[in-house]
Amino acid sequence: MADERGQVPEAAAPAVAQGEAHFAWPAHPTYIGKDIRRLDGPEKVSGRAKYAYDIQRPGMLYGRIVRSPHPRARIVSIDLAAARSAPGVKAALAWVEPNTVVMFQGEEVAAVAAATEAQAGDAARLVKVEYEVLQPLTNTAQAMSPDAPKVFDGGNVREGAAEETGDLAAGFKAAAHLVEAVYSTQVQTHVCLETHGCVCEWEGDKLTAWVSTQAVHGTREGFAQALKIPQANVRVITQYMGGGFGSKFAPDAQGLICAKLAQAARAPVHLLLDRKEEHLATGNRPSAHAKIRAGVSADGMLTAFDGQTWGTGGAGVGAGFPLPYIYQFPNRRRRHSDVYINAGGARAMRAPGHPQGCFITEILMDELADKAGLDPLEFRMKNLPPDAPDARWREYFPIAAKQFGWSRRHPTGDPTPGPIKTGVGCSANRWGGGGRGSHAHCEILPDGGVIMRCGTQDIGTGTRTLVSIVTAETLGLPIAAIRTEIGDSLYPFSGGSGGSTTAASVTPAIRVTAVKALDALKEHVAPTLGVAAADLVAEEGRLFARNAPSKGLTWKEACRLLGTEPVSVDGQWQPGLSASGTTGVQMAEVQVDTETGVTKVTRVVCVQDCGLIMDRLTAESQVIGGIIFGMDFALFEDRILDRNTGQMVNPNMEWYLLAGMSDIPRIEATLVDQPERGVIGLGEPPAVATAAAIGNAIANAIGVRLRSLPMTPARVLAALEQERAGGTR
Amino acid sequence: MKAFSYVDARSEKDALASLGTERNRILAIGGGMDLLGLMKDYIVTPERLVNVKTLDATIARTPDGGMRIGSAVKLIDIVEHAGMGQMYPALVELADQIGTPQIRHAGTVGGNLNQRPRCWYFRNEEFHCLKKGGATCFSVNGENQFHAIFGDGPCHIVHPSSLAVACVAYGATFRIAGPSGVRDVDAGQYFQMPDHNLYGENVLQPNELLTHVTLPAPGQVKSASYEVRFKQAHDWPLAFASVVLAMQGDTIHSARVVMGAVAPVPWRSHEAEQALAGRTISEETADRAGQAAVRPAKPMSGNAYKMRVARTAVARAILKAGGLKTA
Repeated sequence: MADERGQVPEAAAPAVAQGEAHFAWPAHPTYIGKDIRRLDGPEKVSGRAKYAYDIQRPGMLYGRIVRSPHPRARIVSIDLAAARSAPGVKAALAWVEPNTVVMFQGEEVAAVAAATEAQAGDAARLVKVEYEVLQPLTNTAQAMSPDAPKVFDGGNVREGAAEETGDLAAGFKAAAHLVEAVYSTQVQTHVCLETHGCVCEWEGDKLTAWVSTQAVHGTREGFAQALKIPQANVRVITQYMGGGFGSKFAPDAQGLICAKLAQAARAPVHLLLDRKEEHLATGNRPSAHAKIRAGVSADGMLTAFDGQTWGTGGAGVGAGFPLPYIYQFPNRRRRHSDVYINAGGARAMRAPGHPQGCFITEILMDELADKAGLDPLEFRMKNLPPDAPDARWREYFPIAAKQFGWSRRHPTGDPTPGPIKTGVGCSANRWGGGGRGSHAHCEILPDGGVIMRCGTQDIGTGTRTLVSIVTAETLGLPIAAIRTEIGDSLYPFSGGSGGSTTAASVTPAIRVTAVKALDALKEHVAPTLGVAAADLVAEEGRLFARNAPSKGLTWKEACRLLGTEPVSVDGQWQPGLSASGTTGVQMAEVQVDTETGVTKVTRVVCVQDCGLIMDRLTAESQVIGGIIFGMDFALFEDRILDRNTGQMVNPNMEWYLLAGMSDIPRIEATLVDQPERGVIGLGEPPAVATAAAIGNAIANAIGVRLRSLPMTPARVLAALEQERAGGTR
Repeated sequence: MKAFSYVDARSEKDALASLGTERNRILAIGGGMDLLGLMKDYIVTPERLVNVKTLDATIARTPDGGMRIGSAVKLIDIVEHAGMGQMYPALVELADQIGTPQIRHAGTVGGNLNQRPRCWYFRNEEFHCLKKGGATCFSVNGENQFHAIFGDGPCHIVHPSSLAVACVAYGATFRIAGPSGVRDVDAGQYFQMPDHNLYGENVLQPNELLTHVTLPAPGQVKSASYEVRFKQAHDWPLAFASVVLAMQGDTIHSARVVMGAVAPVPWRSHEAEQALAGRTISEETADRAGQAAVRPAKPMSGNAYKMRVARTAVARAILKAGGLKTA
């Protein structure tokens, strides 16, 4: 799912579903689209759910990785002797060869496995690594400067091809007002509550790995390729996981190290990372910088956009993002450069690129609206793309505005006396989503039991619950009657959970498979009832003739007719039950204390579609989670590297801030159901627009525009100070 | 975490006998809220820990109408105490905002006052900083947005204890027990600047224990604290202030103004105190005191904003003490 750069492409699928009628979603569903509680909620909150971290195997050891403390250094030597003879140590290995140049702080160098976690920690510190420390590139400005050391093959900066549409000169000529400004967004790490890692156990040449992963099948392939063993010899299990957000598609170095340690020690090894390792070495969202010149005509129409952009995805990873985002500049040019620095590499992160592109464009939009003297919402309505099934902002903005009370917005700068200023802002998002490729297997047992298996994984979004909902809906049974089995690479193939594609991949496969299983049961039962199989329906725990409901059997009676041979069928995703392309808008209200610089987000209203809603409750939960994610990006999260050494100063959750319960605003999520489109997916879109809406709300409150994330008290106060000293606009 | 031995001290005498003179080799552990983190991060690697939760954990009235707090008292016990909130609001308000409910239920008064700085150069092993025996304070040319705006270095930490600030404001006395007996130290003298004590933050010697905090009878004072946090909870304050105003009718006779998170010690502002003396509590007085408090500040490259925050904290603490609207 993720390509070699760790990016998950948006799916390209039709925007409207048109499928085979036999498998079509029911017109009057019992469960689909209702508020269904997460089936594994009780297990999770009671601690009975076993995450990778919780797996215990007989004789299990604990692994620990030795990582480079230097962002750039040549490894002179690695001496494992002292570690090998430390108490409890069963294996030690060098992960890189001498003369290797490590390119970021936290890069894997060696590893040990010992009987206890503490022994492994102590032993890791006994591995003697001699480094020749080299000057690192610690930030984009330094990396781009002509006298920077040349650190990366092919240069520290990779310039992309310019994209140009229309006639830029004519566009600027038509402009009555111009905005010229520089915008930026920070590097954000994934901060999965469950850190990366796994437990690996070998049985002969067969590997079983309990991994915290978004892709059991992709991770199986990853282990097999890297370890040069057949995929058939690898089994990957993920029953529960505590967050991935795009950073957990592969075994990664820690997975392979764990497998090698287990092989060397001939014992299962538990290797899960700590918070510091998680910040340093398991991915992040690249930074984004944009120097923009844009024009708007006297009547408020966008005329031209000229942007030079750059960003860093760390050591050798790109930093692309869409720009301009959504709104239509008829004449535009964009030149982008990826800048490499000596820091942990970027990976896909919840809507890769979109929050950056959205923030920069939406802040610019408010600035242009101010210049044109238009309300930001009115200005957006004038410049949005035409309506389409996957472009419905013109419809949603007014809905959100009404619910939010947008008409009460004051012009930029809250005139209320006193230090607390209130403001509102809005923004829009889009995403692909859509599905493909999932397979499933269904058994209907002679005692009435139903098993649905699919090699997908529930990354915390409720996939397990969705599988049960669709199966129960299709077979006319209670949800609790379905035994859903997922999270194991032994089950039929399903892709990685990325790009908001899981629901749209898995639920059609489940629907098709369950319909086929029911068809098989009907064939068995039809002769007994004297009714054609095609005339039977399954509802409320019965199988009966459509036109003579009394002519039927209970589900159990029907299944008993199977004798000893269960129904056992395979099915797979088919087009027509899912589509692609979502639309959303958000509005935020903030209170800014102009004497402390502290911003409190008080309210976020969101109107979002995602095609056919499978479970309204988990869908709303996705939206709420996405908005919190976006608020953290707006205000709090920031990977801070020391500008001189390149080492991260806040690799923890103390100075790497994340919202707590009391920081979370009132969130009102309006989900637009689109049964005619089929399932699309929702993981990414709600996380995109929040930061931009908050940024615009802050400017509306304080009358001064901040163009960089995160919007900390330091930045708010500096902007106010600069305004007093002569103005920023 | 390096392995260590553990002594469960049964008495003050027992605890003192278990300590030693070499810094960081034997350490007292209360709730462990700070120390365990330091040990997990290998910032300190003690050979022995001495459990002092067994020491006095009571809050008792003193004969002169003050309060004597055992250093093993839990933060939550201060917050929930029947009399403390009335007598020492500036202290209790701070105690109520420390960390999280879990930290307040496990952390002790002694531990809070003696916790080590949160400076990210000090707390990350990669940086061999001045305080850890190195040659450089990395904050000077580095990332100093949360560092001190007062003091001349050479180390630019801010003192992490919020209780310390209120203790200085109320003029508390700290009882220190050591091998040669007991001594009482004024809270204002307890904390030390880095040019006097680079490797520690106070006068406590490795073989001594802070056993009690005694707060004087409050008398005719109005007092309050005001903290500015970015996050609403579980976040270190950007700056905060405790003020204790000795009143004569509606007039401030004398004041103690102490700021936190702005200097390596609780930072008392005589400038602000002078600005308050002889005045009534008003928005104008409060703002003038706030301005006076930060006028002598010497911000670093990235923390000038803290002057505005500290000024606001001082002004609002004064307004709060006077029962006026703060924002």
